[in-house]
Amino acid sequence: MRSSLVLGLGLLLATHVAAKAELVVGAVIPLSGASATQGEDQRRGMEIALEEINAAGGVLGKPVKLIVEDSGGRVPSALDAAKKLVTVDSVSAVIGEYSSGITIPIGQYLVQSGKIHLNIGSSSNRIRDLGATSFSVLGLEAVSSKFAAKDVVAQGWKKIVIVGPNNAYGQGMASGVKEELEKLGATVMSTLLYTEGQTTYRRELQQAAQMKPDAFVYSAYGKDAALMNREAFELGINKTPWYAIYLSMCTADSQRETVVGQYGMDLNFVGPNGKAYEEAYRKKYGMSFKTSFSGYGYDALKLLAAAAGKAGSAEPAKLREALIELGKGYEGATGTITFDAGRQRSEQPYLTLKMGQNGYEPR
Amino acid sequence: MSQLVFDLVLRTGDVALVAVALSAAYSLVRFPNIATVYYATIGPFLTYVLARVGLAFWLAAALATVAVGVLAVVLNATVFDRLLRSGSAIAMIGSLAVGMLVTAVLLVTAGPDSMRFAFALSPPQDLLGARVTALQLWSMGLSSAALLGFALILFFTDIGRCMRATAANADLARATGIDAHGVIRVITFASGVLAALGGICLSLKGELNILMGPDLILPVFAAAILGGLGNPLGAILGAAVIALTEVIAASTNFGPLLGQAFLFLPVNYIGATSFAILVLALLFRPYGLFVNEVRRV
Amino acid sequence: MFDFILHVAIIAALNGLLALSLNLQLGYAGLANFGQIALFGAGAYGAALAFSWGFGPFAGLLLGLALVSLLALVFARLGRSLGADYWGIATLSIAEILRTVATNETWLTGGAQGIGGLPQLFGFDLPGTLALAAAALLATYLVLRGVTQSKFGLAVRLLREEPQLAASLGYDLAGLRRRVMLISGVPAGLCGFLYAHYVTFVGPDQLFASETFFIWAMVVIGGLANHSGAVLGAVALQILSASIPFAKDALGLTSEYVAAARLTLTGGGLLLFLLLRPQGLLPERIGSVRA
Repeated sequence: MRSSLVLGLGLLLATHVAAKAELVVGAVIPLSGASATQGEDQRRGMEIALEEINAAGGVLGKPVKLIVEDSGGRVPSALDAAKKLVTVDSVSAVIGEYSSGITIPIGQYLVQSGKIHLNIGSSSNRIRDLGATSFSVLGLEAVSSKFAAKDVVAQGWKKIVIVGPNNAYGQGMASGVKEELEKLGATVMSTLLYTEGQTTYRRELQQAAQMKPDAFVYSAYGKDAALMNREAFELGINKTPWYAIYLSMCTADSQRETVVGQYGMDLNFVGPNGKAYEEAYRKKYGMSFKTSFSGYGYDALKLLAAAAGKAGSAEPAKLREALIELGKGYEGATGTITFDAGRQRSEQPYLTLKMGQNGYEPR
Repeated sequence: MSQLVFDLVLRTGDVALVAVALSAAYSLVRFPNIATVYYATIGPFLTYVLARVGLAFWLAAALATVAVGVLAVVLNATVFDRLLRSGSAIAMIGSLAVGMLVTAVLLVTAGPDSMRFAFALSPPQDLLGARVTALQLWSMGLSSAALLGFALILFFTDIGRCMRATAANADLARATGIDAHGVIRVITFASGVLAALGGICLSLKGELNILMGPDLILPVFAAAILGGLGNPLGAILGAAVIALTEVIAASTNFGPLLGQAFLFLPVNYIGATSFAILVLALLFRPYGLFVNEVRRV
Repeated sequence: MFDFILHVAIIAALNGLLALSLNLQLGYAGLANFGQIALFGAGAYGAALAFSWGFGPFAGLLLGLALVSLLALVFARLGRSLGADYWGIATLSIAEILRTVATNETWLTGGAQGIGGLPQLFGFDLPGTLALAAAALLATYLVLRGVTQSKFGLAVRLLREEPQLAASLGYDLAGLRRRVMLISGVPAGLCGFLYAHYVTFVGPDQLFASETFFIWAMVVIGGLANHSGAVLGAVALQILSASIPFAKDALGLTSEYVAAARLTLTGGGLLLFLLLRPQGLLPERIGSVRA
């Protein structure tokens, strides 16, 4: 009698858990608008992760469900999407967005409604203040700037011009790298923040060249990066060393001969886990990484699935505990993920690379 | 110095063709047609597709420009003509709506990634002290030829005289027996062709991307308005004025004046300079720099 | 689900303020303002700047209204000498210049990363926020209806239809434009202020020229020179735009199609209305002036 009661209770509990256990994850990313290239790449990373997770049987005995929403690069649309995910689809966690200006309001909303928020694209230091259930899977500005500055100074370059897009990413990158470079005794002669979407960057490049720096440190993406690399090549400005922050992102769309010889750093995508991810990406999309952002999408979803498996639940509060526990050293495609006390990724391994005739070469 | 002059010409050429297209269309169809910059996006995409299926580049470009010209005429007859009855602002917003639809179609068919024509990248050569590539020369040659051809048509042919007559006074032109509708069709076709060519020249030097059109709106409008809307050749001067200001603003080192090694205008304000010039110019020359006619509200 | 509906309603009410404001300029006075989003931005940055300097929301509202009035006067000053098309482009240019300044002057505006952390006026109480937004909308509606039904409203329509006649009848056209811009600036600035405190964040990405286009679409679809129409247009567009994600789930669309659907919905919807029903959902009522 007693044993059957226990059994009955157990069954009831089991079915109850099973009914509620499905892990539903939302994503709000820019699939249209000015940052569509990065948003699409974020989606690719998540898609590969989703296929891998579900091919291995899913989590909690069920396939993971991923609902991707387009933010359109607009705050109102992004908020609409986040609210829809939370209040209609009852997701446990939301991954996103790309630009800090959108990540911050949706992150605030998610924290306030008690859901998990995973930042995979914004590096503004203000992400740190979002609150108890917000995590950053990519290192905020401080982490990458420090690494890049050290690497640049190690090449013996002392007079630097920094080039970046005039958006939240570029402004944060430029000020972070400048600060770190100056700490190491280098001089930043100028910071050029270009306006995205122009038909030419010759004016910017020629202004930069007039200063005759030892090296340009730059970060750019999409058609702007390709155009700038091409025009630097045509103007002969590429004779001065160029150092790319996220080399694969900066050169993905460029013609090879315009970027051969560039120095750079990038995420550790040739580590034991990263290598497999790079191959999966190449196989699925027939190209090497378009931007550096897909890896974070991949890691975020994998991390959430691992956390749900560990917690045995898709409840946000339990997921949070599990994420903090996993965040003591999770091996992701973008390297080891370690969260600090503020749930931000505190360190991140990088590669030092150089662009050769046949692609990226380790230095 | 010669590099500066060369940059000036190159930069002028970037927007001049599309601005001329906008202004020419405005001379007869009195509203600023935002769809013009989207014609400049369709042109290179069509060329790209046609070249990919095996056509020679020049043939692909010719077919694409004619197709865009026809598209412009069709859109004008079916959409803009009707919208214009509700006012020029309505027609303008309608042309932006058409542009959004164009972007939607391109997004689904071509995708959001950048592409480029399959030309080998040529190393720059020295031309009178400026670094110039073959593709840049081709692009400049093509734009200059198109502009010259348009000017010749406008000033030395019967149809050109009809266009100018209709633009100056439509009623009078009609009274003298000019077929106003035919003239409108011709100029609309020409504006589609010019815009498509402008887009092709632009992507010869760089990339082609579905954001080309939206990115062109402000510079093209600035050039066309500075030159005086409806004054096609003024648009070239408008483009030149903007290019000159931008080149000077970007590459003048104010440092020595103030005892510093380097002091430049921050590049993130260069885009805004052209808008500022535009607003200032409009304050003092309300109908553009190169228009003499007096109009009153 | 209920929270989602409340959220959609709040945004719809806030958009309604912007639509009412543009409708007074475009619908009644014939002023084609392509820089409408800058008026919103003045209100939003007023709230954000006051917050970043440590003042309360009331000071933010005052600062926002002061900024918006200043900008409205600049727009009106330009309107004195320019034809309609040119004025539209000039307002667009000024809006773009202001967005550039907001992006670049990091010391003042936080640059591209904006100013975040503004307090919500009612904590996170959605019904309270909705009540406030709806009250603002209703008050604006009543005031603007009063304005357009007055003698001034008649003069404003004359400015739209027959500016030369209006001038010959002794109306001060520049003065009329200035007053229209000042009056319509207030709801736009108020919207910016409420929006800033609702999403708790203000940044230059909220000021793209394409946002102005959405407001235009609301007014044109709703009905030019009809206050109820403007509000209806704002509500309808917000509902449509908020339902795109649901349509995507129901139809299983891929991401390119979702992005394209968003463009097609606004662009195509607007175009259809312009072509087939240019007077909008609710047409202007002729002879609705009492005075």
